[in-house]
Amino acid sequence: MLAGGQSLMPMLNLRILSPAVVVDINRIEPLNELRADKDCLTVGALVRHADLLRSADVCRDWPLLAEATRQVAHMAIRNRGTVCGSVSHNDPAAEHPSVLVTMGGTVVVAGRQGRRELAAEEFFTGTLSNALEPGEMVVQLRYPRPSARTRSAFVEFARRLGDFAMAGAAATLTMRDGTCEHARLTILGMGQGPFRAHAAEQRLTGRRLGPKECKDGFAEAVAKVTADVDPADDVHASSSYRRHLAGVLALRALETALGRTGGKVG
Amino acid sequence: MSDARFVNLKAVGSSVIPDEAVPLVEGDGRFLNDIKLPGMYQVAFLRSQHAHARLNSIDTGKARQLRGVIKVLTGKELFGKVDPFRSMPNRFSGGESIQHWLAVDKVRFCGEAICAVVAEDRATAEDACNLIEVEYDPLPAVTDPRLGEQDDAPLIHDACKNNYLIKREYQRGDVDAAFRNAHVVVKRKFRIGRKQALCLESRGCVAGYRESTFTLTVWISHQLPYVVRHYLAEHLRMPETDVRVIVPHTGGGFGQKASIYPEEFVCAWLALQLRRPVKWVEDRLENMVASTHARDQYIELQIAADKNGRILAISSDIWVDVGAYSIYLWSAGMEPLQTAGLMPGPYKIEAMRYRTRGVATNKTPVGPYRAVGRPSASASLELLIDELGRRLNLDPVEIRQRNLIPLEAMPYRNANNLVHDNVNYLPCLKLAAAKAGYERLRKEQHEGSPNGKFRGIGIACYAELTGLGTSTAVGPGTLLQPGRDAVTLRLETTGVLTIAAALPSQGQRIMTAMRQVASDELGIRLEDITSISNDTATAPYGFGTFASRTAVFGSGATIKAARELRQRILVIGAFLLQVPIEELTITNSVVHTVDRSKSIALKDLTEKSYFSAKSIPQEINPGFEVTAFYDPKFGSFAGGAHIAVVDVDPKTGQVEVVRYVAAEDVGTLINPAVVEGQIIGGIAQGIGEALLEELVYDDAGQPRTMTLADYLVPSALEIPRIELHHANVPSAALGGFKGCGEGSIIGALGSVACAVADALSRHGGDIHEFPATPERVLKGLGVLASTQ
Amino acid sequence: MAREQRICVTVNGKVYERTVPVRLSLADFLREHLHLTGTHLGCEHGVCGACTISLNGRSARSCLTLAVQADGANVITIEGLRADDGTRHPLQQIFLENFALQCGYCTPGMLITAIELLADNPNPTEREVREALSGNICRCSGYQAIIDAVLIAARQAGGAHANAQVR
Repeated sequence: MLAGGQSLMPMLNLRILSPAVVVDINRIEPLNELRADKDCLTVGALVRHADLLRSADVCRDWPLLAEATRQVAHMAIRNRGTVCGSVSHNDPAAEHPSVLVTMGGTVVVAGRQGRRELAAEEFFTGTLSNALEPGEMVVQLRYPRPSARTRSAFVEFARRLGDFAMAGAAATLTMRDGTCEHARLTILGMGQGPFRAHAAEQRLTGRRLGPKECKDGFAEAVAKVTADVDPADDVHASSSYRRHLAGVLALRALETALGRTGGKVG
Repeated sequence: MSDARFVNLKAVGSSVIPDEAVPLVEGDGRFLNDIKLPGMYQVAFLRSQHAHARLNSIDTGKARQLRGVIKVLTGKELFGKVDPFRSMPNRFSGGESIQHWLAVDKVRFCGEAICAVVAEDRATAEDACNLIEVEYDPLPAVTDPRLGEQDDAPLIHDACKNNYLIKREYQRGDVDAAFRNAHVVVKRKFRIGRKQALCLESRGCVAGYRESTFTLTVWISHQLPYVVRHYLAEHLRMPETDVRVIVPHTGGGFGQKASIYPEEFVCAWLALQLRRPVKWVEDRLENMVASTHARDQYIELQIAADKNGRILAISSDIWVDVGAYSIYLWSAGMEPLQTAGLMPGPYKIEAMRYRTRGVATNKTPVGPYRAVGRPSASASLELLIDELGRRLNLDPVEIRQRNLIPLEAMPYRNANNLVHDNVNYLPCLKLAAAKAGYERLRKEQHEGSPNGKFRGIGIACYAELTGLGTSTAVGPGTLLQPGRDAVTLRLETTGVLTIAAALPSQGQRIMTAMRQVASDELGIRLEDITSISNDTATAPYGFGTFASRTAVFGSGATIKAARELRQRILVIGAFLLQVPIEELTITNSVVHTVDRSKSIALKDLTEKSYFSAKSIPQEINPGFEVTAFYDPKFGSFAGGAHIAVVDVDPKTGQVEVVRYVAAEDVGTLINPAVVEGQIIGGIAQGIGEALLEELVYDDAGQPRTMTLADYLVPSALEIPRIELHHANVPSAALGGFKGCGEGSIIGALGSVACAVADALSRHGGDIHEFPATPERVLKGLGVLASTQ
Repeated sequence: MAREQRICVTVNGKVYERTVPVRLSLADFLREHLHLTGTHLGCEHGVCGACTISLNGRSARSCLTLAVQADGANVITIEGLRADDGTRHPLQQIFLENFALQCGYCTPGMLITAIELLADNPNPTEREVREALSGNICRCSGYQAIIDAVLIAARQAGGAHANAQVR
């Protein structure tokens, strides 16, 4: 399936893949839909990373998504690459799968049997894998509109800006009067797709996160992250370094999110 | 001969905008892959999947049958018809390595070429490669030179015992006494990772049969056209005069395009066989394994010093992983012999000893890359000097000041037998420190950063021998002595001057520089001077562009030829104007008396000498074509001092270069803006070496860094604004010029490595392995365990 | 299944109709079929940026685009930057005057990317210029002269780049 081609074309050029048929979906106009509603943001299969960044709605009201998208590669790649493509490809270093999981998004899939919807976490099934059956494709993503009391941050670490991230963290904290009503934390770069740090979230949900209390809370959450992630070894980073990074970035994401006023990227 | 110098604006020393750049900025460059000839075939190579294996069988049947495939060539078919590359003689050779253009019974590195497929287009040729069936019998691979030299290690070349391609021991001065009597001895092991030049344009060639009057014409992305011609003629067993080599626009060279490789030679052979043009373009995947690698040293270094921090002696033990073959033309001696031999750098060192080895491994062969062994040597020495300073409580600038060769001591013969003269080591260090505000930098470092990062400051001083004449071989022990290049100056029938020299540019604007020199020497306007630089059919002999030599050679030969040419012009001018020759000069392309009472445009003078020769006495009209060879005999030392300031993130290990100050002595400047571009470009590559670039192999000899997503070169965000200053002193070469292409990469690896070590040392940490990846930094800080 | 397709592409203002193999990249189409060799190939996996062109007004890697995807599209390459009378684009002139190219191999991608930057952000800081160009590798220059050229261009244009698309 060819949409943006920014992941598929390198594989064809390097002869990693030699498909018999390539289906180019770029002319299916209805897939080029980017719509912000009262409850959610709808991102069609042909929406490019750059389209998100050029949308005032997205930048203002879905700040986590905007912040993550800014870190996708470089402009020329963002102009062509699609959000749905990135989600389908599920590269362990990709930003979008983790953001979708953190925001509790939905993946809309179409196939010969019709349409079905999956929660983000159901969709990502492992390294470079997804829950698509043969003959199916992702046609849409939906991101719930964050509440005004939700603070978010996306951080990643790469050797150079725009490189594949060695690790990253997407965090949202929904606050009410200094208490965290709801925490969500996902780690990317650990090898099997987005890692939702449930145990870390539990340490924070329902907890007071004032200027002093947050230190302990975050420390506990981060300890859970580093204990639970199971990163791979590769030429860019050993598993112990990735594990360490996961902790560092989880903390940075949580601290940065907390330091922002609700709903906006500081 | 008139003593009066010309009165037009001095071109040398001004940043003349290069005409050479015009087609490039407009998108009208003609790079190798832009060349298309009628009937041209394309070649793709099947490359070894194994690092070390016997080739039991190669079945090319299916490949040959693919539509569009013209021919599939194997090593067996070539065997006996062409001469393989036998390692170049070197006094310190361990044994002979023989490299067949296409592997015959054995492959010795992943990526070694096994078959060449000729097809109507490249895609078809690659499709055909996928249909070739090779039966390998894998052999154990050697991937570590320290293991490869053991008696029980697998042998890569039968003739190379212990896999030594190069081995040398050297001593000068009483090293043992120095170490015995030293007040302090410091000792460390360093590891410099494997690199490659990563030219943005990879290699390639178009070989043509009878494309012009020459039997064989080869367009090749290369730095040394005459060298290519010489070896093509030898290996293809044809007269050299039947071969023409043309270098098109070249997208980077840096030494990687200065070796002789099998692929282009295979294409030349195919063109002669098929009697059709044959093109091969190296794609990036191939380039990562097929073009020479660099560095990859294990260095054990010791310094003996007195209580004042004066170095008494150095001793080094070096292993270089030189890959599977002794690279053709240079031999495997490049990195091992230069790393060891040039270790003293700009420092006064009376006694030194080294033991160095180039050990063959089952990896891509190592060849020359910008500054060769000097960055690794310099970085090791600079790091150890800093450690010496810490031991004696001496600031890094102070301890270097005590050891640099001062002007008063010059000419000074160092322990490695090189004579330093006309070079400003100390003034450069002082200038760099002053411009950097060194004291304030240390004070700020001491106060600590509000951002939680660890600040490090590193200094590196370098000596770089440029423009090597015939007294110095191209590398220690090699029997190849370039050192003489020719330039031809010719006034054409319309009075324009052509400069011809086989010194192709890859962006250094060599011909612009030579036009500037010629303009000043002859009084001819720049716009009346053109150049030819890339074609053996039209340029006189020159060894080519490498080793920071073109400013010295090109300019020197231009000056020599210009003096003769100027004389010829003035003699005819005196005749035509009927004035004594002492009263004449040339300004802005006009020959005139000093008082300007009489004049003749050069254009008119030239036309007369060509077309009205009857009216000019034969004996004063020998023609306006002058060829001069120039040999500066010795090299010209360039030098510099670089100061790098880094911030280390103690959580992620990321290193950022936040400030960079360089003070350089690169002799008399011809084109300051071009020189600046070279220096900053070298610094960028050095920063890449220090922090980012590394080619990684696994224990089976499989490359792990295969794309540009794995091998990381600096982008615009990794290089800070470079503050460049000059403390230039002319060399003894003609014109006072020095080379500037390589020195700065030495300073950059050294200063950044020292800066990182400085940052870490202030927090109880250390680092000896480079590039300083985030992971190595954290291990150096003890944040990550160091076990692997 | 089609191995070839007929496409109609506007390149540098001129309309071309050609039949191309479906597996042909846009880069190869421009270079081999239209003989516009100013666009260069440095890696063919989208990292080096030398192949960057303008596709329907936005920068794109021509090595990661199939020629058939450019059917009906508007492409600008480095050859299309000069005016009809042959005058260089102001940025080309500034590059030349500021020694912002050495070997010239990265230059096509640098120009296209810089022009897009100045159209989006007519008065960028040095950091913003470095960030925008961080996807274009240069191995020769260390970037400084290129950054300076872009900053000079921004100053000289005084905002004239705003919304000025590459035609």
